[in-house]
Amino acid sequence: MTHDQTRETTMTDTSSSPTGARVSTGTPGALNLRAIRKTYGDDRKVAPAVKDIDLDIHPGEFVTLLGPSGCGKTTTLRMIAGFEIPTSGELRLDGELINQMAPNHRPMAMVFQSYALFPHLSVFDNVAYGLKLKKLPASQIKSEVEAALSSMNLQPYAARAPHQLSGGQQQRVALARALVMRPKVLLFDEPLSNLDAKLRVHMRREIRRLQRDLGITTIFVTHDQDEAMTMSDRIVVMNVGVIEQVDTPEEIYRHPSSVFVADFIGRANFLNVTVGHLTTDAATIHVLGREWVVPRHPDVTSTGPVTLLVRPESVRVRATAPGAGTGGGEGTIVSSMFYGESIEYDVRTDAGTLVVAVADPHEEQIFSPGDIVNVEFEQERAWLLPGTPRTD
Amino acid sequence: MTTLLTPAAAPGAATKTSRPPARRTTRDLSLVVIVTVVSLILAAIVGLPLLRIFSVAFAPEGWEVVSSMLTSPVNRRILWNTVQLGVLVAVIGTAVGFVLAYAQVRLKFRGKRILHLIALIPIVSPPFAIATATISLFGRNGLITNGLLGIQSDIYGLNGLTMVLVISFFPVAYMNLKGMLESLDPSLDEASANLGASKLRTFLTVTVPMLIPGIAGSVLLLFVESISDLGNPLVLGGDYTVLASRAYIAITGEYSVASGAAYSVVLLVPALSVFLIQRYWVGRKNVVTVTGKPTGTTQLITSPVLRIPALAVTFLTCGLVVLLYLTVLGGGFVKILGVNNEFTWSHFQFVLSGIGSDAMFTTTTLALIATPIAGLLGMLIAWLVVRKLKRTAGLMDFVGMLGLAVPGTVIGIGYAIAFNTPTVIAGRQWFPAVAGGSAMFGGAVAIIMVFVARSLPSGQRSGISALGQISPAIDEASTSLGASAATTFRRVTLPLIRPALLAGLTYAFARSMTTLSPIIFITTPQTKIMTSQILAEVDAGRFGNAFAYCSILILIVLGVIGLLNLALLHPSFRGVGRR
Repeated sequence: MTHDQTRETTMTDTSSSPTGARVSTGTPGALNLRAIRKTYGDDRKVAPAVKDIDLDIHPGEFVTLLGPSGCGKTTTLRMIAGFEIPTSGELRLDGELINQMAPNHRPMAMVFQSYALFPHLSVFDNVAYGLKLKKLPASQIKSEVEAALSSMNLQPYAARAPHQLSGGQQQRVALARALVMRPKVLLFDEPLSNLDAKLRVHMRREIRRLQRDLGITTIFVTHDQDEAMTMSDRIVVMNVGVIEQVDTPEEIYRHPSSVFVADFIGRANFLNVTVGHLTTDAATIHVLGREWVVPRHPDVTSTGPVTLLVRPESVRVRATAPGAGTGGGEGTIVSSMFYGESIEYDVRTDAGTLVVAVADPHEEQIFSPGDIVNVEFEQERAWLLPGTPRTD
Repeated sequence: MTTLLTPAAAPGAATKTSRPPARRTTRDLSLVVIVTVVSLILAAIVGLPLLRIFSVAFAPEGWEVVSSMLTSPVNRRILWNTVQLGVLVAVIGTAVGFVLAYAQVRLKFRGKRILHLIALIPIVSPPFAIATATISLFGRNGLITNGLLGIQSDIYGLNGLTMVLVISFFPVAYMNLKGMLESLDPSLDEASANLGASKLRTFLTVTVPMLIPGIAGSVLLLFVESISDLGNPLVLGGDYTVLASRAYIAITGEYSVASGAAYSVVLLVPALSVFLIQRYWVGRKNVVTVTGKPTGTTQLITSPVLRIPALAVTFLTCGLVVLLYLTVLGGGFVKILGVNNEFTWSHFQFVLSGIGSDAMFTTTTLALIATPIAGLLGMLIAWLVVRKLKRTAGLMDFVGMLGLAVPGTVIGIGYAIAFNTPTVIAGRQWFPAVAGGSAMFGGAVAIIMVFVARSLPSGQRSGISALGQISPAIDEASTSLGASAATTFRRVTLPLIRPALLAGLTYAFARSMTTLSPIIFITTPQTKIMTSQILAEVDAGRFGNAFAYCSILILIVLGVIGLLNLALLHPSFRGVGRR
């Protein structure tokens, strides 16, 4: 409770700042999902879209729901927003059970993929829409809308119709329209997928900056791992209706909890290895002609199937010294792709074909197809996982 | 940030003591209210009359007539007449409509725009205008047949009826098929040509399959329209009796409500099956995607083999329409057209200041009351069906459309049975008698209800297709910003579907002003309705008065439609354009 109050004080301060151009929000909300399940149709015949997920989102946190299409991330977001009612489970906002609360009574605001701006209203009226419904005095509406517009650099467009704006501007109007409501929770449904690549990167920063400044609890749905990695405090990786992992972006990347997560986030080489000795957090394995000691997932056992994850940037290739013996650590360059800032090779080894990324390559690191190279990886950067990758 | 491998186990702020469940807002109350009100209105204006006519038709007295439909030679004849007329009009009307649509979309010629407008005139015209003008021009003493050509033709019967009904209903086929031809994506033709198909092969394997649903749809629609028509068979049928006119005779001549109900219920069988076929088969086969933005320019046809016949049909049809309506207009200013062509004001005086002014005033007032109700109700149903209802959406859509799918004769008789007495359900009186001379407001309430029932389906249709173009996220955005369902409808949905609303209102007014078959059964001496007054004048042979009525009625319809367009599409109303 004290936590919330401190935030509230800071918020009040920022909103009454002399510039007046700052959007203020309400108290950030805490969201708890307990065994949330959503089934469309008969539970016994249809697989649930969301299967009993548990998730706790702290006040002021930026959480991204990430996963391939059909993983249940949008359904989860829509249940939080109130557009879908959970089939079972409990959804709480600041401790209050809100499963059945009508969406228009939830202190949340959503930013839609298509922006969903009202085409018949001007930019100003779009942003003022929710405030008018709250029956605020006209003067207050005007000042709050103007503050919201100016914080997004949209004042010059206040009188325009949405279709007269560029995609990025429409996106900012949608954001202003949501923020001006001072929601406890801000919801985003793939809001950047309709923007071009450069603008998308810019908007990521913009949204993250605003969210940090306002300290507002935010749930962001995306299938774009770059968005998830660069914006989130925590990422929730979902697959076929279940949560695979909830963690910081770095943990998700470095220490994925499953082959699926490792494969979905970033690019991955999966090597079949045999496990030797196990310690508390590491394992001895044999691959590419020698022994390696690699960090491991707690669920790895010496008997079950395991997979070694090595990211392309952790693999090193060197020209083989002439006359060096073949210890199994050699590979043949199959193909190379030059990206400018990096070069990528497909290297065939006796452990499979590996993708190798060499950043800022020097002359002696440039190889041609057919070249024989020595292959190594940074063992402390590798990660031993239970399970085997899909073969398709 | 602590790393949680198991997402459960909430730290700190997350595990507060839970408060009692929320008291407020389990459901959106406004939505419940809207659904209830709309359902009750539909039950009253469509459901109840249909239930009552069924109960009468299947009671012993009515069942006798129904069961003799195939056994009695007279009834078999009537049934056959009805089907024959329906098929003829459906096929010829669709063919004419198709040729005109094809000419508009694929040919280049002078006067295209004017011909388009001419082809639409019959839609906004009262039912007897064409029939009466046809008799005056082509009848036994017709200006053209007898006066010019000197032949004794018999216009009464199947030939005359077919001609009049084709002229009356081809515009419906024309509109449908024109829209469909325009929405055919030319890049499909190009793709076919690019893959090596000849023009003929492309036409047969690409164009035709895509048009079949539209053509089938038009045929079915025209079939129902023509078998349901009552006014023309009464005036032009002669000995050629169809089900609708037989039901009318049963009620007005034989005073047998039961056999009237029975004949009209038989009419319901083909009408409803066609409606269902249209809905579940043709609707599903419809492959033409209407995106609103053609991806290329349609190639215009220049071959004279196609051009000349198509243009001949177009100009002949439009010429006939013009001729018939000029006859209507001119016929009101002469004593007896073709017999005594002396100029007179007397017909217009009769309508404008005599008995007719009463009917004119009442009809316009009632139509003006019904129009906004029908337009709004249509939009509400469309919105509920597309956005709000899930399992019951199909049912509400179906019931809403019944007002159009069910022949007017059936509706009219149903109203007479259901509403001439107070409505009592489960031992309680729900509302007093609303139809008939002894009812309140001289039966005006029932007439308004019929107007609404007959004209809301077209608004509903255009509303549904307009809403289909608008992303549901727009509704959700409004909800997310705190708007209830009713507020969202009023502040977001309705402004966005304004063009559909306008179309709905326009149609509702035109339909209300020109509808005859249901009205004829519930009009009363206190509430005179123009269409039934016209029938009376035609019956009495006073064609001049009928022509004057028709001219005035057309003027009123066009005037109100013009005002509606001005009001609803005025820039100050429109706000900013939709995209």
